[in-house]
Amino acid sequence: MHKVADVEVAKNIMDANAKLAHKNLHLLEDHNIFCVDFVGAIGSGKTSLIEDIIDNVDEKVGVIAGDVISKFDAGRIEAHNVPVVGLNTGKECHLDAHLVGHGLGDLPLDEIDYLFIENVGNLICPVDFELGSHMRIVVVSVTEGDDTVEKHPLIFQNSGLVIINKIDLAEAVGASVDKMVEDAKRLNPDVKIITSSLKEGKGLDEVIAAIEACKAHEAEHHHH
Amino acid sequence: MHELSMAQGILNAVLDTAEANDAIRVTDMIIEIGKLAMLNPEQLKFMLGVLCKDTIAEDVNIVIEDIDVEIKCHNCDFEGIANVDDSDHYAPMILCPKCESHRVEVLNGRDVTVKNISIEREDDDEN
Repeated sequence: MHKVADVEVAKNIMDANAKLAHKNLHLLEDHNIFCVDFVGAIGSGKTSLIEDIIDNVDEKVGVIAGDVISKFDAGRIEAHNVPVVGLNTGKECHLDAHLVGHGLGDLPLDEIDYLFIENVGNLICPVDFELGSHMRIVVVSVTEGDDTVEKHPLIFQNSGLVIINKIDLAEAVGASVDKMVEDAKRLNPDVKIITSSLKEGKGLDEVIAAIEACKAHEAEHHHH
Repeated sequence: MHELSMAQGILNAVLDTAEANDAIRVTDMIIEIGKLAMLNPEQLKFMLGVLCKDTIAEDVNIVIEDIDVEIKCHNCDFEGIANVDDSDHYAPMILCPKCESHRVEVLNGRDVTVKNISIEREDDDEN
């Protein structure tokens, strides 16, 4: 018989990520960069939204594009002449602060005002991993089904802006935009919700205004 | 969905502590999982079982404890354990138990923590 002992471990597995996220945030703030992290399902319109914002703001933008194995999204964004780093998560279903930290090392931080981080297409796993951004935007399209918001409460509670996209297709797929707006409001009563059709250019100005408002609020918050 | 990487993080923490305490075997591990962590306990246990093979934690008894969600309500100022309605969600809705508002700030319940382990050591007077 061997001697037995109980040993306290008390190790928070999430802590390592949280610490790295704070490190990323500090680095970004040292460079006066406002960082937005985009989450949403596969095909919700995250990459299109980022492309449209890049083309319609005066500020200089840098992008970290997360993808499971491909560089397609990074390639699309590169065509808009902004610095972009493609991060492959390999088998993982989300970006984490460690990977983003590597991405930051490959971006010209002195030359950009905005950093947009596009997460892997997933409404579930990114909830557990903060990245160090100032603002999280969740993009959901009506084509995912109008019960998608209520089925994924945590990501909608966890985001600072909800975009319900592809509203031009709502009728064709039998989805109620109103229901999705109501569900988002119920889950996150104070969150701003924008309905959009990026294809038709609807809602983009509002999204840019919301990002600018959040940036201004952060700047004020930071100074006081 | 990220049970595998979580399991690896947990096992690393367990093995580091075990080694630092001269363990020759890890018999039990207690893991706390916040009810808001996006992890399925059964999948996590399965992954841990796979990763523990050929380590000193092989055949370890894994105990998973649920950690309640603690909130601060911005509607009525309640602070404490939230009502989590998981009747039709694996990922629960978070409600204030007093006023049923969703306008709540989560204070606790997202973390995954390795609490403690039971180990065996070589007897001092052996050989």
